[in-house]
Amino acid sequence: MQKLADKLGGLRNLIAIAVGLALVLMAVLQIVTPLRLLSPLGFFYVIFTVIVLGYGVYPLYTNRRLTRYYWDRTKKHRLAIIGLVFIILLFLVAIFGPFLTQDPTRADFNEKNQPPVGFSIQQSLYDTVTNNFVTKAVPGTWKHPLGTDDKGRDMLAMLVSGARVSLQVGLMATLLAILIGTLIGVVAAYRGGWVDNLLMRVTDVMMTFPFFLLLVFIVFIFGPSLSFVILAIGLTGWTGVARLVRSDTLSLRTREFITASRSLGVSDTRIVLRHLVPNVASSIIVIATLSIPGVILAEAGLSFIGLGDPTVTSWGVVLNAGQRSLTDAWWIAVEPGLVLFITVLAFNFLGDGLRDTFDPRSQS
Amino acid sequence: MKHSGLRAYIIKRLIYTVLIAFGVVTVTFILLRVGPSSPADKYLANMSTRSQDPAQVTAAIEARYGLDKPILQQYGEYLNNLVHGDWGWSFSTSMPVIKLIQRHWIYSFQLIFLAMLLSAVIGILIGLYSALKQNTHADYLATFFSLIGISIPHFWLGIMLILVFSVELGWFKSYYDTSLAIFSLANLKALVLPVLALGTGMVAGYSRYTRASTLDNLHKEFVRTARAKGLPERTVIGKHVFRNAILPVVTIIMFDLSGVVFGGAYLTEIIFGIPGLGRISFNAIFASDYPVVVTITLIGAIVTLLTNLATDIVYTWLDPRIHYD
Repeated sequence: MQKLADKLGGLRNLIAIAVGLALVLMAVLQIVTPLRLLSPLGFFYVIFTVIVLGYGVYPLYTNRRLTRYYWDRTKKHRLAIIGLVFIILLFLVAIFGPFLTQDPTRADFNEKNQPPVGFSIQQSLYDTVTNNFVTKAVPGTWKHPLGTDDKGRDMLAMLVSGARVSLQVGLMATLLAILIGTLIGVVAAYRGGWVDNLLMRVTDVMMTFPFFLLLVFIVFIFGPSLSFVILAIGLTGWTGVARLVRSDTLSLRTREFITASRSLGVSDTRIVLRHLVPNVASSIIVIATLSIPGVILAEAGLSFIGLGDPTVTSWGVVLNAGQRSLTDAWWIAVEPGLVLFITVLAFNFLGDGLRDTFDPRSQS
Repeated sequence: MKHSGLRAYIIKRLIYTVLIAFGVVTVTFILLRVGPSSPADKYLANMSTRSQDPAQVTAAIEARYGLDKPILQQYGEYLNNLVHGDWGWSFSTSMPVIKLIQRHWIYSFQLIFLAMLLSAVIGILIGLYSALKQNTHADYLATFFSLIGISIPHFWLGIMLILVFSVELGWFKSYYDTSLAIFSLANLKALVLPVLALGTGMVAGYSRYTRASTLDNLHKEFVRTARAKGLPERTVIGKHVFRNAILPVVTIIMFDLSGVVFGGAYLTEIIFGIPGLGRISFNAIFASDYPVVVTITLIGAIVTLLTNLATDIVYTWLDPRIHYD
């Protein structure tokens, strides 16, 4: 056991690979038998938790001095900290929010197009006493603090639900893209020769497709479900990561510590997992943070044009409803776009800060 | 010697381009065949109102489109048809796909062309100014706005522009008027909001790249030498800094055509109702008109490929330092 763990570059990798294999086995089991152990999203949750705990939280926890150093450097970027605080808040909202808000799918036509608190609009309403349409001022109420949409659904509840969808897609699709990209990049650079050539040509082919067009095409063919959208973004968005990891690995490959490991008879798997991947980790973290906004925007774009999961309320869906009733109810289009915008901004702020933290050369 | 090297390089790039194009076509073929619903199902979805026996219709469609043949033969025919301009039949619009594309590409082209041209010029100017005035208020302002510009979702920006300038102020129509002649002032006016929606993010991106690239070159030794020679500042900036700084920016602008512009134009067209390729692909999706969706995806990839090729070849001419081996 210990020997196997050593070969794979530590117990952590052994656990991660074991979990990965178990998940693959379970997926196969679910396909061939009617047994349903995990929902498709459940798979992503498990992978995400293992990766974040094992390769994010654990090393930061055991390596206090380095953590402190990184934190001090990041702290200097006020915008990065603002971004980080917003993202943490958004996380909390996405996790706990849906339990506190109303049902985002509950429609009530008596309460349609209600403005947010503090605003008031003129609306033509049907008066049941006089059997006539009367125009009167409708003020926003605290029952629906952010107003309601054209079907009378609560905007706040829809936005909170959208936050969950956006973060799910943003984080899990990015993680998937990172996993695929790192694997392809490291293998291409480390193996070299025809393997490198083949993998990089495949990357070129994937890069040639305009990202959003390919995504639309895939979702059109395979049908829209949240887990499939995540899968599709992950399977198409890895090319940038692969190229970055490859070029980083190429420059590392000839360094002394790799040569030394090899001359000591260390296995390839161990060199890749223990020496190469950790050394490109900082670039990976930066590119991950900076690609999350693109992924969130892609999901919003997909659901905006009606290619999102019809069973979930995402920001794109709300925005679409907003464009339909732009003349009657401006807030329906303004609110989801604004939160989308601020979320993207927050990730960009954080990503810029992290880039300066991990790459001192980029500081000018 | 140098000349033959250049020719060999260009031939190599051409072969590479053909190979990648081949890969792109193969990927779409595989995706189509791996998908859970066969093209026949998609046709069938359109004929649901007909009273014929579905199994019979499926068989007829499969025979008509060669779906009952061996997979390799299908692949061969798929390639052959694409090369010969037979891109299938769009049943939702009842015309050959190629005719549909011929009718609509100009709408996408005008939008993309204007947005790219304007945002390149404005973005480069802002970036240059920002770099030359580094660490002044103007620079901070430009940097801050460019960070906002790259983060603002362009499809939301488009809707907000409609809200403000069409719904509230009534300056522009909220929907693109397709009866306008392409080369007319009225058409240009109709394109103001779409170009603004699509171009804002690009202006922000290009000004960031230009700023970084200019700053990179501003403190290089050859610039110091030029200054030491007593050249006027305008010559130093214009001839020595700008020429070097602009090369990477041009590459980025060309490569942008793929992701930012095609993806961006797609949604922009849908929001403003511009009948370009994005809009017809969008309509085709909801009509399950798959030949149209495939063709437009392929066009996006092939145009990207050709621009990359053109960029590489133009580069060898722009930058004599590049080696072609």
